[in-house]
Amino acid sequence: MRNYYVIVALFAIFILNNNSAKAQSGQELVDLCNIIADDATYLKDFQVKLDAAKPGEEKPNMKFSVVLSKSTQYRFSICNSKDYPGKAIISLYDNNRLLGTNYVVATGKNYPSFDFKCQSTGVYHIFIDFKEGEQGLAVVLLSFVQKL
Amino acid sequence: MLNLHKLVNQVDIMYKRLIYIIILILVFASCKKKDDFSKEFNIPPDSVLYDGELAISEAAMNDIVQNVSSPVEMAALIKSLGVPFSKDYLATTDYVDNYNTSFKKALGLGVFGADLGYLNMYNKTSSVIDYISAIKTLADGIHVGQFFDFTTLKRLATNNQNLDSLMYISVQNFNQMDRYLRENRRSSLSSLIVAGIWIESMYLVGEVARKSPSTELSEKIGEQKIIMSNLMILLKNYEKDPDFKEIIEELEEIQALYKNVIITYEKGEPEAVEEDGMLVIKQNDKQFIEISNELMVKIINKTAAVRNKIIQL
Repeated sequence: MRNYYVIVALFAIFILNNNSAKAQSGQELVDLCNIIADDATYLKDFQVKLDAAKPGEEKPNMKFSVVLSKSTQYRFSICNSKDYPGKAIISLYDNNRLLGTNYVVATGKNYPSFDFKCQSTGVYHIFIDFKEGEQGLAVVLLSFVQKL
Repeated sequence: MLNLHKLVNQVDIMYKRLIYIIILILVFASCKKKDDFSKEFNIPPDSVLYDGELAISEAAMNDIVQNVSSPVEMAALIKSLGVPFSKDYLATTDYVDNYNTSFKKALGLGVFGADLGYLNMYNKTSSVIDYISAIKTLADGIHVGQFFDFTTLKRLATNNQNLDSLMYISVQNFNQMDRYLRENRRSSLSSLIVAGIWIESMYLVGEVARKSPSTELSEKIGEQKIIMSNLMILLKNYEKDPDFKEIIEELEEIQALYKNVIITYEKGEPEAVEEDGMLVIKQNDKQFIEISNELMVKIINKTAAVRNKIIQL
């Protein structure tokens, strides 16, 4: 009888561990995103995990501020965890204006990355949320492409 | 009848035990998952360099700015101008043991981090090992050595292979150290690393500008006025600490020189275009940076003096 308990316990541990091993880690997403960024040089990563938006409330988001330099082409690459339904949307702002986003509302197209040709050195703000306020885990990678 | 009753009781006990085991496993498994997640995104606390009252809270500090200075971009600019590599610009790693306080270690980490970026950009793998060894020593000294993958970096440098990975892993390791320090109420050390990177990067650009002057380098030095104001916000938060006060005073002299750098803007509308399937956002603003040669030399000289003071231990 004791052996029976041990076998059941080992089987349960195997199943549970196997499931957790399949979950994508933040580091795996960073590595994956670095491949998507192609020949651009990695600078920074932003890991975002947000809960689903509550009914009647604004979509949750996260903000990061970065210094970007004049005459430089940067790449923003997005990698969504397969363990969550959310698809990340990046919105890039200067001090007061939206400069661009990876999600084009007019076409409904969601780009996995976009380049930003910066012409003014300063602090820029990156807002990340998930499409339709779904729960999500994503990594956004900032890479250096070239001097312009 | 008695045997049947006994058997039912045994089966009942067996099922109860089975349920208890499964509940226990589920509890342990859920704890394990939570722990894994915390390893990914939150890391346990450690000692702090400065524990006094802050003008800006640690949480707000995290909100200020992320990449005040990037060794990659400065080095990329130098390389893009066709300027040859020179080891003379680099800080020596010979006296790494003399970086004997957390303050000095964090600043030194930044300095060597910038030098590593410069070496990596020029694929100078033979010299990289000295710098990654120094960085590992200093990182261990402030208890962030676990984020610096010395073994992999050494292997890549020794075999002179996969140089992109060398750059990627080293920059990412610095980011991991930075994140750990910020998330564990040790932002003072993070600020010092950022300051070290900025000072050494400025020194590199300045020394290159002395020997190979160019408009791009003058502009790069001039635009640091904006970056420096962000750096000073980070550092001034800890100005009650005597070591911080000293370096702030040194940097304020550079900042005073920057008052004469004039930066003006012409706003334009950004546009999004698709180029070869890639979305490209073009910023159509214009930024004009006015800096005289005389002023630039003064900034270079003062920066070199601050930098040399940091590395002459």
